[in-house]
Amino acid sequence: MAKDNSSLQATTGTAGLFVVAAALRLLLFTAFPGLPNLLTGRVEISTPVTSFKRLQEGLFLYNHNVSPYDGGVYHQAPLLLPLFSLLPDPSTYPIFTYILYILVDLLSANALYKIAESKEGAISRLYTSPRKEKRWSGYIVAALFLLNPFTIATCVGRPTSVFTTCAILHAVAKALSGNIFTSMLSLSFAAYLSMYPLLLLPPMVILAYDRTYNPKAPKSLGQLAGMCTLVVGGSLGLLFLSSYALTGSWEFLSSTYGIQLTLTDLTPNAGLWWYFFTEMFDSFRSFFLGVFWLHLSSYTPALTIRLRQQPLAVTTLLLGIFAIFKPYPSIADTSLFLSLVPCFRHVFPLLRYSFVTSSVVLYGTFLGPAFYHLWIYAGSGNANFFYAITLVWSLGLSLLVSDLAFAILRDEWEVERPEMRGKEIRQI
Amino acid sequence: MSVDLQNDGDSKPIISPDAATVSLPATGIATTTTPERKEPPPEKEADTRRRSWIVLSFWLITVFIGLPVWWNTTTIYRANLPLTQMTDWADGKACEPVFPLRIALDVGAMPEQEAQNLLRLTQHALDDLNDFSGHHLRLQLAQAPATEAAAASVRDDSNVALTIRLAPGDAAHAASSSLHPHLPILDVQYPPNSLPTANSPSSGLATYIATQLGSTFAEEQNIISYLLETSSITPEHRPKGISQEVVESVSKRMTRQLKYSQTYHLTFSLFTNGPIPSSWDIEAAIDEYMKPVLDMLRPIHNFTIDTQVQLYASPGVQSQVLGKEDLSSFINAAEWPLSPSIGGAPTVNFIIYIGNQTIGVPSEASPAETSQSWMIPQWGSVYLLAPPPAEAAHVSSETLKQPILTFTSHLLTLLGTPQSGSLPLRLSTLARIRSADLLLRASSSLGSLARLTLALPSISIPSNVADGVVKTIQHLELACASLGGGASSQSLEHARVAEREAERAFFEKSMVGQLYFPDEHKIAVYLPLLGPIGVPLVMGLLNEIKAWKSRRSQKLKAA
Repeated sequence: MAKDNSSLQATTGTAGLFVVAAALRLLLFTAFPGLPNLLTGRVEISTPVTSFKRLQEGLFLYNHNVSPYDGGVYHQAPLLLPLFSLLPDPSTYPIFTYILYILVDLLSANALYKIAESKEGAISRLYTSPRKEKRWSGYIVAALFLLNPFTIATCVGRPTSVFTTCAILHAVAKALSGNIFTSMLSLSFAAYLSMYPLLLLPPMVILAYDRTYNPKAPKSLGQLAGMCTLVVGGSLGLLFLSSYALTGSWEFLSSTYGIQLTLTDLTPNAGLWWYFFTEMFDSFRSFFLGVFWLHLSSYTPALTIRLRQQPLAVTTLLLGIFAIFKPYPSIADTSLFLSLVPCFRHVFPLLRYSFVTSSVVLYGTFLGPAFYHLWIYAGSGNANFFYAITLVWSLGLSLLVSDLAFAILRDEWEVERPEMRGKEIRQI
Repeated sequence: MSVDLQNDGDSKPIISPDAATVSLPATGIATTTTPERKEPPPEKEADTRRRSWIVLSFWLITVFIGLPVWWNTTTIYRANLPLTQMTDWADGKACEPVFPLRIALDVGAMPEQEAQNLLRLTQHALDDLNDFSGHHLRLQLAQAPATEAAAASVRDDSNVALTIRLAPGDAAHAASSSLHPHLPILDVQYPPNSLPTANSPSSGLATYIATQLGSTFAEEQNIISYLLETSSITPEHRPKGISQEVVESVSKRMTRQLKYSQTYHLTFSLFTNGPIPSSWDIEAAIDEYMKPVLDMLRPIHNFTIDTQVQLYASPGVQSQVLGKEDLSSFINAAEWPLSPSIGGAPTVNFIIYIGNQTIGVPSEASPAETSQSWMIPQWGSVYLLAPPPAEAAHVSSETLKQPILTFTSHLLTLLGTPQSGSLPLRLSTLARIRSADLLLRASSSLGSLARLTLALPSISIPSNVADGVVKTIQHLELACASLGGGASSQSLEHARVAEREAERAFFEKSMVGQLYFPDEHKIAVYLPLLGPIGVPLVMGLLNEIKAWKSRRSQKLKAA
């Protein structure tokens, strides 16, 4: 009874939060009519593979019965097109698009609420943190997501990466509630939209396995992994087939995933790839594309093995790594990573560089647009200006990722060595 | 606590979630809790194994995905090129640059025996006279009496370059000869008594004919030996050279002519310094005075023509009388709309300027004729026309006759036609010169490509380069086989294809980029980018191996 009551309370609480968050976004959309288009044009928010402007271009071609990939501007998944062509034209009735994006944000926040409420961050099947008492409720975690300036800017800038964010968060939430099939379906949606979430499959499988583990009738992890892979493969196949039916050719594969794999669009962004590949010798280009992709994907198995006991931590750390090292990162990826970090409130006292990290991230946040302006508009700086600030930004994020990884490992280690609690560590 | 990672699905969890209360696994080591200066407890076996798995996972990715990616993306594709064949062509070993020209001897009513005799003697005289083996004149008796119609048909289909028509003349004292103006025929009139007898070692008539032939083909010989001289062919495969003066005079002419192209674009421009004349009969004038020559050039070149009229055009030089140095700056390139040679066909410009200017350079040969026009090497020609007497706004075809004829002769010079001889002879010579030129250029391109391939082992050779080389060699062989034969245009066609393919193969885009990429750069590329990845990978592996060794030695000790 008391439990019911509290959950009801939480729901009413989040309802208020959701209303506030939606109202804030609506206010930004309507009170500053120029803001959505300004943010859509920012390279920190819109990448070639997520930009709303490019989506409109593809939509126009699609509505005029031309292949949306003609012209080489649109690089996003084909199934987004019928969704947006159902809405009234965004330039005349933008409110419907705004409402869609607000709804997607609220859905993500709802999934995040469930993730935080599941307490998986501190208590997993194989591991219980000694600091498990110290945690934030779902309400706070959802509020941190919804009121995060990065999330708000992303929502107003309307890149399609919010759909990926929503799909990933739902995949995690469904895996936590033991709903394996829905979780895998959600993950394959995310992979269909952005490709890189496919790398989250191993920790997701372990998460789903741990949450559905029944000590009386233990199932095999390998069996479950096989089943999950089949589900993801099957649903991806279905999505591809329906995309083929929609566009009439397999062209979309090379135009969406091919662009991410080969980095043919070198529009500057907050990531590390574009500058390397503008400078790269042509004969080494394909080799280093291979190296960069391998680097990105090599973290998955190692982290999954190391943090086998805390699959949610693996997922969070991987999302942080992707936000730094993926080919077209934007602040949408950062906000996804930052939204999951509060689930690890219990290790916050173990973070060593929280001040440095937050200063560096803030530094990058404020100087990034300024340096971009100096380079592109004022002409008083060059590409190195902007690249330097993206390096700082990535440094800040990687500090956060490594510090979080350290804190999680230290937390694990203190279980083993309770006497070392609160002592300085020293490498031997 | 430990988790069996190898088969953690099947195994039951060894520890309960509340790991803090669980004692360490039975490794026989108890944690001692002396506060200061204590040694850290030894690593648990599960941790060691886990670390090995992590190192292994990185190495598996590196070895099974990274190495194939590296191999696939950095191996340089080198198509097989027939290198020896290519250098053979460039050195002149593959094709003897010999032009056997067949000369038909039409003896008319002469008896067979005497004709054979004359033929033998003339051939002897020719061989004695000609010290240049690359250009070989071979006499033969004409099959049928050379009427003009027969000669015309012969020119088309057989290998005969020139027909000598012998006829007994009236003049009792000396032989005389003249070239037919429209057909490749040399008419020789000989005194009836000068026919050689059966056993005489030499004959005045034979020597005379040989000398005439020699002088007729002297220019062609000079040009061809000049081409061989300046080509990549090694001296031992080259026929005997020519004297220095000849080289100089020929090279002067060669620098004047346009680079060979199958199609030329002719632009006729009328520039006037005032409002009139504003129209001209250029079409009729070209049809009448230039078309016949263009038609004759058809097997060698194609021509496209356009015309333009520009009023109030001011030349680059304003002075009334143009000196020698003014001629080069007369063209007002900045203001006159003259099309540059962009695209497939080079442009030849012909400009008629109507104004009050005259040329002040006296010409030695015929002042009246050349004082109105001059030729600009590799570009075109200018003709100064005096303003029409009345206020006539139209330039008639009659007025244009002299300019167009001048332009025609300038065009022939620009195309590299020899200057002596009758027109048909000059054109067939031109075809031979051009095919020799193209053949040599294609061969030298092949040689350069072969040298490049050998000099840069790291350059990639796409398969279309190999295809181009094979095609070039194939067409070179065909061109070489038909070289010097009467069917010159076929040889020219093959040489043309060969040259085009060779150029395309040599200037392949993907190869040019790597020309400037030495091997040392690879260190600069690999080291900074792969060092940070490679060091932890290798160090991790080394540590694992060391740990494994010490474990083994401990186990041995224990046993």
